[in-house]
Amino acid sequence: MDDFFFSLLLAGVSVGAVYALIALGLNLTFWTTKTLNFGQGSLMMLCAMLTVWLSSQGIAVALAVLGSLVVVAALGMFIERWTVRPALKASSGSMGWVVSTLGFGIFLQGMAAKYFGSQAMAFPDVIFSAQDYVTLFGQFVSLQYLVVLAVAVALILALELFVRKTVWGQAVQAVSLDPELALVQGIPVRRLVLGSFMLSSVLAGVAGVLIAQIGGTVDPAFGFDLVLLGFVAAVLGGMGSSFGALAGGLVVGILSKLVGGYVSTAAEHGIAFALLMLALAVRPQGLFGRPEVSKA
Amino acid sequence: MLELRGVTVRYGAVQALEDLSLRAEAGGITAILGANGAGKSSLMRAVSGIAPVVAGSVRLDGQDITSLPAPARAKLGIAHAMEGRRLFRQLTVEDNLKLAWSFGARRVALSASLAEVYDRFPILKEKARIPAGLLSGGQQQMVILSCTTIRSPRCLLLDEPSLGLAPIIVQQIYGFITDYAARSGITVVIAEQMAMLALKVSRHCLVLRRGRVVLQGPSDELRQGSDGKALAASYL
Ligand SMILES: Nc1ncnc2c1ncn2[C@@H]1O[C@H](COP(=O)(O)OP(=O)(O)O)[C@@H](O)[C@H]1O
Ligand SMILES: [Mg+2]
Repeated sequence: MDDFFFSLLLAGVSVGAVYALIALGLNLTFWTTKTLNFGQGSLMMLCAMLTVWLSSQGIAVALAVLGSLVVVAALGMFIERWTVRPALKASSGSMGWVVSTLGFGIFLQGMAAKYFGSQAMAFPDVIFSAQDYVTLFGQFVSLQYLVVLAVAVALILALELFVRKTVWGQAVQAVSLDPELALVQGIPVRRLVLGSFMLSSVLAGVAGVLIAQIGGTVDPAFGFDLVLLGFVAAVLGGMGSSFGALAGGLVVGILSKLVGGYVSTAAEHGIAFALLMLALAVRPQGLFGRPEVSKA
Repeated sequence: MLELRGVTVRYGAVQALEDLSLRAEAGGITAILGANGAGKSSLMRAVSGIAPVVAGSVRLDGQDITSLPAPARAKLGIAHAMEGRRLFRQLTVEDNLKLAWSFGARRVALSASLAEVYDRFPILKEKARIPAGLLSGGQQQMVILSCTTIRSPRCLLLDEPSLGLAPIIVQQIYGFITDYAARSGITVVIAEQMAMLALKVSRHCLVLRRGRVVLQGPSDELRQGSDGKALAASYL
């Protein structure tokens, strides 16, 4: 295999796994409320920037990441309570949450620019540095890429296991299928909704740290494109499907890296949206979209 | 015992229940009769906590539950089989049962509870791993009823369990309900449009019309004599 192609492929798989993580976060709130948290991009950015700031204050990097994730989880709660719930209450079925979650994201971005400045900041090495390599199939493979891939895939598997095998996972599925029935069956829907926003924010935070680790820097504008790419991955894979999110993420990641490498880096993100249009035209339910189950 | 006092349910401008009071004693079936749109479902939803109650109070065994959200009421032992055969269609039969058990009272172990359901409805054991939405209407109703009983409830609300089923299946379903009501001794409330069927199995009966009680009394009295005529009249 030619070296250039291989390195693009690896980079694609690695960022693709992170897109999948973002898509998974979008899926989570979609399951419980049929809404998407478009503030996710800013949460990714904030988590990465907070990590940089905390570690610059002399806190160990691992602790800095953990602390940032806690902040981001709390913001997830805030987003549910103050942007999504009021929008859904105003009139169910309205799309007010698109504006309110996006608006809150832009607010966070503005705050980050005000307090951290809009310059790109160098992101610390969490586990491996960019100089750490292993050799795979006679190719140099960055350990950072491998770690990102491993973390993303492990989180996806864990979430899938949680949903399929645990009572609370089943309860999440129940809420996604029929929230009213879930309520009368004693499932604490409110708490699950809140939990889904927190977990989805944590996933965004992890994705932010992982991407920042690969890219090496963060700035307040970081994350905005990424959440859109995660959205494309989610729609491509079929909104709500975990394996769909993984497949969609990988397709978007690999394709955009290949286009970036062989055509132009300017076209890297554009191709994802071309893909989205194509997918919506050909297979609107996505690769793994769940068909309606009912008696014929 | 279930008690409603002066309950009013309003959906925007539509008044579905008006100043409604009722007492449903434990150890027997209370039937709620009435034509389509009379307010039967709204009554049940007011009890389980998913209807907009604007006035009045709901009590379960003397405890005021009016301000409790639906999941808390379910936890206290209210089991509501909603109208229109509501179940989690994409989940398997067994997952539906497990979920209902998990968020119920858990008075009996899961394996024993499932065994009891499968013993009562062997067909459900055969279909345990099939998405519930693919079952026949009668089988779905069996799953729904089992989902309520597997919770070990204190108060059972059944909204038109006979709707859309063949007469022979209706008999089977009602056989199970009367059996369960007698065995468990809990409060059972059934909403029905099939008056004669409901009167036969119930001890007490209320007839609703436009959100108000227009007739009530012991079911055997309502079935006969002048009350029978009154019953027919209240449907017109
Ligand atoms: N979600 C709702 N929104 C608006 N009106 C409703 C709603 N549910 C029921 N209603 C109205 O309330 C009245 C009572 O309905 P319902 O309780 O379903 O009666 P029943 O179960 O006896 O058929 C009807 O006029 C119905 O149109
Ligand atoms: Mg009804």
